[in-house]
Amino acid sequence: MLGATLSRWTMAYFVAALCCLLAVEGLMAAGYGFPSAAVAAPETLIVVHLVTIGWLTLIMLGALFQFVPVLIARPIHSNGLPLPTLILLLAGLAGLILGFVQLAGSIGLPFSLLPVGALLFAAGFGLALWNLGRTLWSARPVGLPARFVAMGLASGAATVLLGSAFSFVLSGESVNPQLLDLTANGLPVHIVAGLGGWLTFTAFGVSYRLLSMFTLAPESERASSRAVFYAGATGLGAIVLGGITAICLSGEATVIFSVGAMLSLTALALYGADIVHLYRARKRRVLELNSQMAMVALANLAAAVVLALALAGFGIFERSIPALLFLIAFGWLSGLALAKLYKIIAFLTWLECCGPLLGKKPTPRVQDFVCEPRAQKWFALYFAAVWIATVCLLLGHSIAFRFASLGVLIATGAITAEFLRIRRLADLGAEVKLPELVRPHLLFALVKRR
Amino acid sequence: MTTFIEVDVRSVLRAGGEPFGMIMSAINELKPGEGLRLLATFKPVPLFHVLGSKGFTYEAKEIGGGDWEVLFSPGEQPQAKGSVKSAGDDREWPAPVRHLDNRDLDPPEPMVRILAAVEEMAAGEVLSALLCREPIFLFPELAKRGHRWRGGFEPDGTTYKVLIRIGQPESIQ
Repeated sequence: MLGATLSRWTMAYFVAALCCLLAVEGLMAAGYGFPSAAVAAPETLIVVHLVTIGWLTLIMLGALFQFVPVLIARPIHSNGLPLPTLILLLAGLAGLILGFVQLAGSIGLPFSLLPVGALLFAAGFGLALWNLGRTLWSARPVGLPARFVAMGLASGAATVLLGSAFSFVLSGESVNPQLLDLTANGLPVHIVAGLGGWLTFTAFGVSYRLLSMFTLAPESERASSRAVFYAGATGLGAIVLGGITAICLSGEATVIFSVGAMLSLTALALYGADIVHLYRARKRRVLELNSQMAMVALANLAAAVVLALALAGFGIFERSIPALLFLIAFGWLSGLALAKLYKIIAFLTWLECCGPLLGKKPTPRVQDFVCEPRAQKWFALYFAAVWIATVCLLLGHSIAFRFASLGVLIATGAITAEFLRIRRLADLGAEVKLPELVRPHLLFALVKRR
Repeated sequence: MTTFIEVDVRSVLRAGGEPFGMIMSAINELKPGEGLRLLATFKPVPLFHVLGSKGFTYEAKEIGGGDWEVLFSPGEQPQAKGSVKSAGDDREWPAPVRHLDNRDLDPPEPMVRILAAVEEMAAGEVLSALLCREPIFLFPELAKRGHRWRGGFEPDGTTYKVLIRIGQPESIQ
């Protein structure tokens, strides 16, 4: 059948991802990991991977299983595979976390868990890649947003492969000299491929479509958007492929990193110009909360870029990297994810509940499922706490950072409660709450098998 | 085996003309199972996307002198997999009795209005609606209710026009 139906397991990805986010914010508020521990300490690695894998990767994959079919107007290759994929990803994440705990010396086992976790996670990511890749392949030639997603998935694969290589060296399973060089010098590649290639580049692609859809801006493919793709893809290619080759051949890759960074900055600047154009060309004057908050997240990305350039100008870029990564992970990526979830969960819940009744009975609107004024306060607290936490990291105040993290945790908890209320139809007024409405399940969508 | 209808736009292009309308009207006149053999003076990349969204696959090769031959073949989805496309679907549809312009509505309002209109119409009648994107979530709902549809982007590349023919009541669940 042409068209897209509800992705059965997307809600389960969202629930698992939000649990990871709340857990990691709790750890940060409790003073676990950086800045209380060293940047490279196992505790910090646990925090970092809970954010990037547990939260951001799961939320992104869950959203892609639903939205890749929307981007290319084809059904997903398999609506059943996402569940085994999720189980493998979560098992892999658990293995990695236990492996890091083992690195810290708290678990005594005759074998290392780190490579086991890495392989399980790689298997899960590979399965997601296969499912989404087959879906995209069936729709060739695909439009620009889908090409961003394809490039993001390729970067994600590179990130996972590099991480797996690190896991074999860090656990002492491999003493191959090239892998040792890669582990010693390849961390920037791992970070750029993950946060830049996989998460940011994919978010760019999806945002072109979602932002124009929700702000009623024209969806035509602009030359500048194509330039974003080519500059970004070449920059990422230079950093990831060029960087790995240079490290394996000569042990370092400063020149190639600089070239890649220039290309990536060009892509970021052009993307910024595109978003400003989209915002100005929109037909909807008053934006919904999700679009407003997405704009704040985008402003955080711009702020991170400007801040990075300024800090580099003052010669203190390297020691500010943790603060910059925090702003990118929480201000930009998590901010965008929470903002878009607020719309996506409401829309998917509306479609599941009202779809069968549309036209036959008066049905509630999507906006009847949410209570924007209440959620707006929590989004405001979220972003304010993230900015304070970033400043604390820049200034090296670890106690103040814990208090700011507590603010982030409280705001995220409240936003998650809003998501739960949407899913439970708690904000639907009695006048629109029809007895015929399908009650949605928290973890999966009721998809009729045809 | 796909039979290909040939459209040569090289002379139009060399004269500085715009062949897009000519290509799209040829596409719209194709019978089920027919493909299009296009001859052009460059590799017509923009068309790949436009026709891709109509379910065509393509095969492009350079034929010398900078000219290109592209074979657009009909995809399998609309005919083979469309569970609601039954025999008799190829016949001319009657003129639409209702027209909706949903281009300025934010999603999912276009879908809501179409389904509301569809429920008020009689079997065999046709609804025409203009949208600014392919209504991905609408199609499964139409299929469930036993209606048929035909859709595609207009030559301007930004307006999506969908025609919906109301199904017989007994096929509606």
